[in-house]
Amino acid sequence: MSAANTPPGYTGPGSPQDVPPRPGELGVDPAALPPAIRDELQAPDPVALDTAAPELKDGVNRCPKCGASDIRQKPGSDLLICVYCHNEWSGERVEERYGFGEGIDQLDGTTVASGARDIAADAAVLVTFKCSGCGANVTINTQSEMTARCHWCRHVFGVNEQVPNGAVPDAVLPFHVMKDDAVSRIRQFVQKRRLFALKEFKEQFTPENVSAVYLPYMIVDARASVDIAGKGEIQTRSYTRGEGNNRRTYYDADVYQIGRHVDFTVDDLPLESSRDRGNLDTHANTNNIINTILPFDTKNAVKWNASYLRGCSTEKRDLDVSQLQPRLVDQLQSIARAQVEASVNRYDRGVRWEQEGIEVRGTRWVAMYLPVWLYSYQQPGAGMLHYIAVNGRTGETMGSVPVQQWKLLLTALTVGTFLESIVLWILAHTS
Amino acid sequence: MSDENSLALLALGPAGAAGLYWALYRYYRNTDKSHAFERETRVEAKPVTGSDTKIGTNNGTQDKRIEGDNVREYRRRVQAIRRPAKVHQEGEIHE
Repeated sequence: MSAANTPPGYTGPGSPQDVPPRPGELGVDPAALPPAIRDELQAPDPVALDTAAPELKDGVNRCPKCGASDIRQKPGSDLLICVYCHNEWSGERVEERYGFGEGIDQLDGTTVASGARDIAADAAVLVTFKCSGCGANVTINTQSEMTARCHWCRHVFGVNEQVPNGAVPDAVLPFHVMKDDAVSRIRQFVQKRRLFALKEFKEQFTPENVSAVYLPYMIVDARASVDIAGKGEIQTRSYTRGEGNNRRTYYDADVYQIGRHVDFTVDDLPLESSRDRGNLDTHANTNNIINTILPFDTKNAVKWNASYLRGCSTEKRDLDVSQLQPRLVDQLQSIARAQVEASVNRYDRGVRWEQEGIEVRGTRWVAMYLPVWLYSYQQPGAGMLHYIAVNGRTGETMGSVPVQQWKLLLTALTVGTFLESIVLWILAHTS
Repeated sequence: MSDENSLALLALGPAGAAGLYWALYRYYRNTDKSHAFERETRVEAKPVTGSDTKIGTNNGTQDKRIEGDNVREYRRRVQAIRRPAKVHQEGEIHE
């Protein structure tokens, strides 16, 4: 049973389904196949939901009123504002536009929105635009930013065309929490963790250095059926035997074979679609901090428009749907286990689940950038990178504060010694 | 006082020290935190169905809980079955 006790990896023993093949892996060499079959295998996958915005293809977001390209997000709202004429307009909510919230109970097979398509192996990170104002070439490094300004004519460009490098999602959830608010939340969080915090951390603590980051996620709707089998016990009697030091309590119980089946749908489950962020190994990193500030109000996400990202850094998606599937299956199984818990309440001695099976009937994947305020601190020496993260919509704050080990150990030992001396005093006076 | 009770009392010091260390460490580092997707995701489930069959007794045990109780350990995977077992589907569970 050791395998059952190991937390599942993304493609690990926890997944009841076969490990999905790598992107493009067919098990056979297409070159050896007849042309008709080869063409079919190598043809691009269909895009089920096309969220591409043809009107933004040239990279310039224009104000619908005056045509200027200097567009920013109005702080604290979902509105875009033209810096030139101060016209304000709202991004279109993708929930209604593409029906992402509907028909989850009818999902069948895998539906992938156009921004969540597989990343092409040869897709370039650098995207070059020809400025429609002056003809100059402007290059944007999509690894970390999505907008740039033409240094000749000051046109502002955004990567809006859905280039197949994973950088352009279907939707974006704009920041609502302002920087001042985020700074005060981080300050408040650390204020409650100063006593045993690392000295260098306290000395260098400058929450004003917090940065606005859009992190890539896949937002998944799913329909699944789960079957679970195990054993449960109901206590029928308890009694004591023996005298004095040998007095023991015994229990009698009835043992039941239990089976449970649940059909359910999940709406907007967020999964990290960056390989680094999805690695939640707390011995090696503090990515679990960023994971903890989930969920976001993804229902309010608006259609992708790079203008929302001005002044923010971004992290590019580098995982495809097939690579995230095992993690989804694992989380769906966990959700099912939570769902059936109430149905086994009568087993007062608990339940030991022994087998579980899942059938994922349908999924829908939408790529989204979600807003996070991130304060980071690199612990000196071989220490890890500590994050304090604030959810850019809900303000939920979580962090990892490095610990001054000797101080914490000394305190623990002092308290232990104090307790022990009380125990010794009691023992000395009772024997 | 019995020897057993004395030993339990003597363990109080080391246990207290270790408990305090871990509690404070986790409060600072939050290594135990992650997204509680089981609770924080919108889930619509149809009524749970299933079966309960008495298969025997476990009499005279000193354990307070069933061995290997994992009813709340949602994220701990157990043996995977490819096809749903046939034992379920017998009726709705009412609490």
